[in-house]
Amino acid sequence: MIRIENVSKVYRNKTVALRNISCEIGKGEFVFLVGSSGSGKSTFMRLLLKEETPTEGSIWVAGKNIGELSGAKVPYLRRNIGCIFQDFKLLPNKTVTENVAFALEVIGRPRSVIHQQVPQILELVGLTKKADSFPSELSGGEQQRVSIARAFVNRPLILLADEPTGNLDPNTSVGIMRLLDRINRTGTTVLMATHDQGIVDSMRRRVVELDRGSLVRDQARGVYGTLE
Amino acid sequence: MRIGYILRESLTNLRRNVLMTVASLLTVTLSLALAGAALLFRSSVDNATVQFRGGFEITVFMQPEATKAQVDAIGRELKAMPELSRYRFVSKEEAFADIQRLYRNSPEILDSYPEAKFAPEQWRVKPRDAADIEAIGKRFKKRAGVYEVSFARSIKTILTVTGWIQNVILIVAGALLVSAIVLILNTIRMAIFSRRREVAVMKLVGATNGFIRLPFMVEGMLQGAIGALVSFGILAAGTSAAQSAIRNSTVGLLKQFSVTGSEVVTTGIILVVIGTAVGAIGSALAVSRFLDV
Repeated sequence: MIRIENVSKVYRNKTVALRNISCEIGKGEFVFLVGSSGSGKSTFMRLLLKEETPTEGSIWVAGKNIGELSGAKVPYLRRNIGCIFQDFKLLPNKTVTENVAFALEVIGRPRSVIHQQVPQILELVGLTKKADSFPSELSGGEQQRVSIARAFVNRPLILLADEPTGNLDPNTSVGIMRLLDRINRTGTTVLMATHDQGIVDSMRRRVVELDRGSLVRDQARGVYGTLE
Repeated sequence: MRIGYILRESLTNLRRNVLMTVASLLTVTLSLALAGAALLFRSSVDNATVQFRGGFEITVFMQPEATKAQVDAIGRELKAMPELSRYRFVSKEEAFADIQRLYRNSPEILDSYPEAKFAPEQWRVKPRDAADIEAIGKRFKKRAGVYEVSFARSIKTILTVTGWIQNVILIVAGALLVSAIVLILNTIRMAIFSRRREVAVMKLVGATNGFIRLPFMVEGMLQGAIGALVSFGILAAGTSAAQSAIRNSTVGLLKQFSVTGSEVVTTGIILVVIGTAVGAIGSALAVSRFLDV
């Protein structure tokens, strides 16, 4: 589903964000991307979305070499990749329903599809009762659920989660992880960057660790810190 | 649904930045009203001077109901004048044909000459010495059956002056159009800024660049087009006021400075095209510079 070959990324100010990374993630996998701040996790994610282009190396997403995609094709790549963030990125002047519908509306989905899919996804994330609330009226966990609904409503092949529990308390985080796990079970590949040791240790999924731009560990059923 | 979405987004943006929108609308309106006035002015000068092409400097218009004797009397008088280099008679049929040709785009003028017999017979005269024009013209003004005498020379002065006026108006209009572009650019920039979250989400979920840009483009073009329509309204009202003032004026020469309805409409279409183009340019500049997609 995702294949990265000898990818390096050097920013214009000479910061080396990634150093000769190679990695393959299969369909339906759940992968934790760990590492301290500045280790290159965010650059890794941005490369997959083609928000940045690698200085060297190639990246395949869903069977396509995204280095060869023209700018006009990039939006179609992004339709295959759902994204959630630490800060949710919800639109404050739209209700929960409108926030989720917006994602379908702007990629030209017909209204009938939107009317059918939005309530379904809200039920999946457990927010049916909050459908008409505004983000400011929701708790952090609920806001993250809305953001997951928005990322997943288009049924992407891949879900990228950039520290989705970074702003949430441990109990709420467990709920979000259950939801991501459920989405993963539908066959969606999930790649989650995180600092949350407890979550990584308790889920025991594949762990890829970056350290100052290099891939230092790729472990099936791993934990946050290296097992001695 | 897409069209509905785009219109809704554009109109919401226009409403949000009311002040900026009003400023750019006013500038578009003013600049296009000036440009349109210059265009109509030129049409009216063209209409007034069309009869003098061919080198004749004086035209003696007979009344449509002038008798043959009255027409011939003028002819005899012209024949006896040694100070003329040439002169020529224009029959009702020829005058009618001229009218048909010159005013083919002006149905209301054509309507007032349904048949050749309503067209005025004319004597077109060229004196040897241009200094005699005034005297010769005056001499025929009071003759029986003469409706009016018009002079090329006064027309030439008018042409020079109006040419200058027209150039100044066009330069001012051009400068205002440039500021209209800048103002629209700024309005769109603010719209982009106030919608940056939406734009970020749209990029994230894979909206195409065209889809993200279009509402901003439409917003700019709407501003240009609305400004053009308002300026057209002002011009149309101004023109009809000026026309009725001219019609009631006692100065014969002024009566020929008229524009036709179809000329006004053509000018309006030109204005809307220019206005929309100005809006498109302004918003395209803003979108390409400030909308990072």
